[in-house]
Amino acid sequence: MYEFRFHGRGGQGGRMAAEALALAAFLEGKYAVSFPFFGAERRGAPVRAFTRIDDKKIRTKTQIYEPDAVIVLDESLLETEDVLEGLKDDGVIIINTQRKPEEIELSREVRCATVDATSIALDVLGKAITNTAILGAIAKATGEVGIDSIEKAIIEKFGARLGKEAGEKNAKAARVAYESTVVGKSKGGKQFEPKPQWLPTVDELPLGGSIGTMETYAGLVGIGSFIENKTGGWRVFMPVVNDDKCIGCKICWFYCPEAAIKMVDKGAKTKKAVINYDYCKGCGICANECPTKAISMEREVKA
Amino acid sequence: MPDKGHKYGEGGESMIQKLEAKKMVITGDHAAAYAALLADVEVVAAYPITPQTLIVEDFATFVDDGITDAEFIMVESEHSAMSAVIGSEAAGARSFTATSSQGLALMHEMLPIASGLHLPIVMPVVNRTVAAPIGIWCEYNDMMPQRDTGWMQMYSEDNQEVLDMVIMGYKIAENHDVLLPIMMGLDAFILSHTVEPVEAPSSDEVADFLPPYKPIAVLDPDNPMAIGTFTPPEYIQELRYQTHRCMKNARKVIYDVTKEFASKFGRNYHGLIEEYETDDAEVILITMGTVTGTARDVVDAYRKQGKKVGLIKLRFFRPFPAEELRKALQNAEVIGVFDRAVSYGVGGPAWIDVKSALYGFDKPVLNFLAGIGGRDIVRGDVEKMFDIMLDAKNGKAKKEIVWINTRGVEE
Ligand code: SF4
Ligand code: SF4
Repeated sequence: MYEFRFHGRGGQGGRMAAEALALAAFLEGKYAVSFPFFGAERRGAPVRAFTRIDDKKIRTKTQIYEPDAVIVLDESLLETEDVLEGLKDDGVIIINTQRKPEEIELSREVRCATVDATSIALDVLGKAITNTAILGAIAKATGEVGIDSIEKAIIEKFGARLGKEAGEKNAKAARVAYESTVVGKSKGGKQFEPKPQWLPTVDELPLGGSIGTMETYAGLVGIGSFIENKTGGWRVFMPVVNDDKCIGCKICWFYCPEAAIKMVDKGAKTKKAVINYDYCKGCGICANECPTKAISMEREVKA
Repeated sequence: MPDKGHKYGEGGESMIQKLEAKKMVITGDHAAAYAALLADVEVVAAYPITPQTLIVEDFATFVDDGITDAEFIMVESEHSAMSAVIGSEAAGARSFTATSSQGLALMHEMLPIASGLHLPIVMPVVNRTVAAPIGIWCEYNDMMPQRDTGWMQMYSEDNQEVLDMVIMGYKIAENHDVLLPIMMGLDAFILSHTVEPVEAPSSDEVADFLPPYKPIAVLDPDNPMAIGTFTPPEYIQELRYQTHRCMKNARKVIYDVTKEFASKFGRNYHGLIEEYETDDAEVILITMGTVTGTARDVVDAYRKQGKKVGLIKLRFFRPFPAEELRKALQNAEVIGVFDRAVSYGVGGPAWIDVKSALYGFDKPVLNFLAGIGGRDIVRGDVEKMFDIMLDAKNGKAKKEIVWINTRGVEE
């Protein structure tokens, strides 16, 4: 059995990629299973998806803890979490990046494949949707599925959703990625601060789970814990307000799902929208709703 | 009820386009929706709830794409969804709905009406924990409390079984010795959102296996009939006995239908329970739903080490396979029952019924509560269940009810 774990952000299509990978293996006569991170997917939040491939029927229904391959769709995730967690020693990591394997610093030195899926997607599809290109890199780096079946699976799966032409273009993106994937070794030694999880016993957990703000060894939990748990790190694009265009209508303030917008008196006739970047998750709803197009979404430059 | 179609189930036009047999890599939710399509249902009424939503969406897409002419009724709640399919089924139309968790709880009031009127509705239930606290993951505390509503209930191990059971479900439920509705559980996310290979028969093969629905009583303005009317004590007790008898009859029908299905489609589900490596087993674990697959792997591994372990997959919870279990367990020395729900202060609901079925057996019947609220049941958890049973065989049973992997509770 061979197990894959995909790391991406909500909305990047990691789940579709994981399912297409299962389909590709199935088309080769293998048995395959794929499942998403079990839970509510929030746009921009780090999410995972999984695939299992075997020659015989897969009966086990547990989640995957020790994958053979880890796939990273969004390079920014390499900074925030140890994506190698649980990866087998002889496993491989496949990363969407412009960098070469030896330029990537991870917690361990592992087999590492890199591909510039974003540029390939922009080139072939005209959009920075990387979940099909990355499949080509998976075929190259793991050899678990052939690129021909990857192409077929993409045409079948994405074609059904987006139309035949789009299906074929996506298959081409995978082929180009397959040909340009570089396989080597990553650097090791990167330190990650351990993120403890609060795991109380029956007696430590308040009755019924009703909690005010509570200090635990894993930080604050309960109401008010968002003082520490900031959603700003999820952002790929950041909203920027043009004060000259903002008419203070409060529509963005009303729609923002994170309540990250404040109306501030800056001395003009009307108040202006001001974004709290600690909590803005970069969903772009405000930019979409603003009647005067005062908000633009700009690519986030991470320090 | 649509004007076109097999009116009163008497073999009019089919609702669906011809569908070829095919192999797909699909979610459990999609398997449920596709099976309803294959079963040529005439009316669907459902209200979306995570993680059942995909069933509703997929079926709505079939209607929108013109693959079926079935009537899709949009309703404002699960209570209305059940009311609507009770109405359509009573009008003679094969009907389908699906729900989960709080949705099933809201339907509760209507469930005994469906069974009391002997309406063979088929309803997949994506098993999800019931609040409070609110969660969206797997637990059987949505379906277990529906035990006494007069619905048959069963739990599936994989997506293939989900698809096959919807088709078999109609055949069992519509049998005139049964005429009871059936709900089939599929584990939230573990099946509902997981894709795996599923074989779907062609619509012709299914039509051949599943004849049109022939209701015994039909709401028809041309032939007026009273159903579910105000009934005094002179009659209700006999009517309850009828339902009790139908549920008992269902056991034989389930065997017959699974057998016929096996000979036709090559997949054998063995009736109400499935035994795995039980022949010479000293300890036997009774499982339900998806944990069965993981447990099969553990049984194989333990057998290789020479440990005589086996498992029984409890497919049907109502009707309850009491006789089958007594027979299958007569030579076991220790029995364990997995439960994914708890009857507070007592133990797991499956365990309670297994113990009652085994009354008079002089051997330990242990209860393993695990996977509650969607906690992943890992291989080590299942190994632990077998290890505890093997210890009990040597007289070392510490506890009768074991909360597996529960922080602060001794196992
Ligand atoms: S992008 Fe706009 S709407 Fe979305 S979280 Fe940020 S401020 Fe709120
Ligand atoms: S919606 Fe646009 S114009 Fe209105 S307050 Fe927000 S930024 Fe200003």
